[in-house]
Amino acid sequence: MKVSVLRRKEPDKEPYWESFSYDGPEENTVAGLLDYINYNDDIINDKGEKTTRIGWECSCMQGMCGACAMIVNDRPVLACEAFLKDFEGQEITLKPLSRFPVIHDLIVDRSGIHESLKENNVYIGEYRPPEDKDFEQDYTSAKCLKCGLCIEVCPRYTDGRKFYGAPFANDCYLVASRNREKSGEISEAYDEHFKSECAYDLACMKICPMGIKLTASMKKLNTLKRETGENS
Amino acid sequence: MEALVIGSGIAGMACAVRLARQGIHTTLVSPAPSEHSESVMAAGGINATLQGNDDGDSVESHVLDTLKGGCFIGGEKAVKGLCEHGEEIIRYLESIGTVFSVDSENKPVRRAFGGQSHKRTYYCGSSTGKQIVSALVMEARRFEAVGMITRRLRLNFYSALIKDGVCCGALLFNDSSSRLEAFYSDFTVIATGGQNALFGKTTGSTLCDGYAAGKLFMQGAELKNLEFIQYHPTTLETPQKKMLISEAVRGEGGRLFYLENGERVYFMEEKYGEKGNLMTRDLISREIYACGKEAFLDISFLDGKTIDERLSEVRDICMKYRGIDIKKEPIPVSPSVHFFMGGLAVHLNHETNIENLFAVGECASIYHGANRLGGNSLLSAMYSGFVAGTEIAGRTSHRKYPDLTAYMEGERKNLKKSFDSKSTFPVFYIRDMLAETMKDDLGIVRDEKSLEAGLSDIGYYLSIAEKIRYDRSVPPYFNYSLKAILTIAGATVYSARERRESRGAHYRSDHTDTKEEYAYSSIVSYGNGDYTVRLDKEQIYES
Repeated sequence: MKVSVLRRKEPDKEPYWESFSYDGPEENTVAGLLDYINYNDDIINDKGEKTTRIGWECSCMQGMCGACAMIVNDRPVLACEAFLKDFEGQEITLKPLSRFPVIHDLIVDRSGIHESLKENNVYIGEYRPPEDKDFEQDYTSAKCLKCGLCIEVCPRYTDGRKFYGAPFANDCYLVASRNREKSGEISEAYDEHFKSECAYDLACMKICPMGIKLTASMKKLNTLKRETGENS
Repeated sequence: MEALVIGSGIAGMACAVRLARQGIHTTLVSPAPSEHSESVMAAGGINATLQGNDDGDSVESHVLDTLKGGCFIGGEKAVKGLCEHGEEIIRYLESIGTVFSVDSENKPVRRAFGGQSHKRTYYCGSSTGKQIVSALVMEARRFEAVGMITRRLRLNFYSALIKDGVCCGALLFNDSSSRLEAFYSDFTVIATGGQNALFGKTTGSTLCDGYAAGKLFMQGAELKNLEFIQYHPTTLETPQKKMLISEAVRGEGGRLFYLENGERVYFMEEKYGEKGNLMTRDLISREIYACGKEAFLDISFLDGKTIDERLSEVRDICMKYRGIDIKKEPIPVSPSVHFFMGGLAVHLNHETNIENLFAVGECASIYHGANRLGGNSLLSAMYSGFVAGTEIAGRTSHRKYPDLTAYMEGERKNLKKSFDSKSTFPVFYIRDMLAETMKDDLGIVRDEKSLEAGLSDIGYYLSIAEKIRYDRSVPPYFNYSLKAILTIAGATVYSARERRESRGAHYRSDHTDTKEEYAYSSIVSYGNGDYTVRLDKEQIYES
């Protein structure tokens, strides 16, 4: 199998393509493939030239942390859950996520996700949940990996300066569902940085590796906001 | 006053939040965000004795189970503190929005875990660790927003800044700038997890490698109980790693068996009776090892709804990575390295033998003795973070930072010299050889011969590490971390050789008995390339 990787030595250097031959287990995932290529005394590309190990991030290697999010054959995936057998043909291409600054090869800087949440005070404060807590929705929402796959497929996301994408809305929901008194304040940030721009394309929900039902969260946020408004 | 917390999993965040709440500005550094920490992988649950637990359950019972599981070398005072705070920690976690699984009256529910006399493991579906991480991230953000916690990513530990036995911060390697940064602090807390990389890929995170503990060991910190390494009995083999099959499966009634002439032999139940499948992890691992056959874990008899509700993570892993439907067929399982009971030796307040240097979470060794009970790691991660945070907040610092410019410049020059190397000697290759050595010679069953062989191999790797230059095609961290990782590996095998008995997770085929003379924690120290092991008979770390 031919593996082509869009590489970049450093953030300010130009990207370039480099290809490798993979002869490892067919049942591997893309993460397993990267490990396989990188584990050699010398790393040789498909032209027979010595090259450097491919930079990529991983931690859990089983779809629980989101570190290895990347684009495989133009499909944003978690590399540790993307099985080679599910990609057609004898060639795969690996690219870093495109909506985040590239640090090195397939490693990107996703710190903007966390910065936007901090800057907008998206935290619970005091725990005062509404009486009708939705445990299933809360549980699933709290599994958000902040992996960035949803941002990658979002038709409205541009540079992350005003519209922050699904992870922001998700955490806004978590705050509102845990502190009803903060529902109003958090809804304003949610309106400004998510709802006003969201195209309701729902690509974010389809791609989410945790299966988070964002539309249910959005609906609940609207309800909580309405209730807060009525009570104030 | 300024605190530095290195590592942002559950223990690191718990400590940072506790410090910030008490008005101490805290810098929380890590190579990656908390979402990538090993803590998110803790699936099973967190132990606590709350009102409403089973009749007969009590804090004392939790203490006894923990001490018994640890073969009575976990410190009694430390364990008592841990178990007494179980309820407070559950209430705290609820108050920051952790989504515990609840009953129809919204009360958190419990499951049974191995080695426990009562059902006291509270859980959040099948992702307890992740749910706690998410809640703590949100709580830490609250203090980040008001400037009491400063988070810095892409920073790796390099070494502690130590002068006259007192720690005053750390040298950190910045991945973005490829430079060393000096960070002075009044108090430094290490929260870097277990020594996974010693064994290559374990059930845990690839980010946890034991480097920080190894480096601090070389700088004078003492390590404790390194020989006690928990092999989790039920992991699933996949091409990329061995994946944990949570103890929750056995907690929900899962049965272990092997096949003999086509018939199922429920070996744990046959040997240990009705509760055989809930024996401690070390015992089951040894029984699987001893049977010499492929073992299976069956939960298919449970109704599908309960599996979906309580074991969805296990269901998904088996289907995704092996195409196994746990509702219909048993899971092939084998033991794999899962948790390190050993680590930095700490006193009851979580301070190491180096003043103002603390350690919390899995990198610290204090509660679990010779073997950890399932559900006690999340509890100890939270509790240790709180203990260290409270201790630090209660102290004052009037000290001026010493001048360590010469040390820092020396380290910068050493690192730069290695960057300039043209050699491509593969560091990963040595790390992989180390993993093979550790798996072969420090397995579930050890003996003098295998441990001697391990020490000899590691001695050889260390001699190479001294001579080779660096591999420029991997991040600098992987290069500079090699020697300390090899050193802690050597100390681990050495400690295992010196404990000539069997106890908990440490089983010696040439010394199968548990011996009274060894009924103490082992402490290992380092000097001029040599290890010195002693038993902590005076219990100096129980103070």
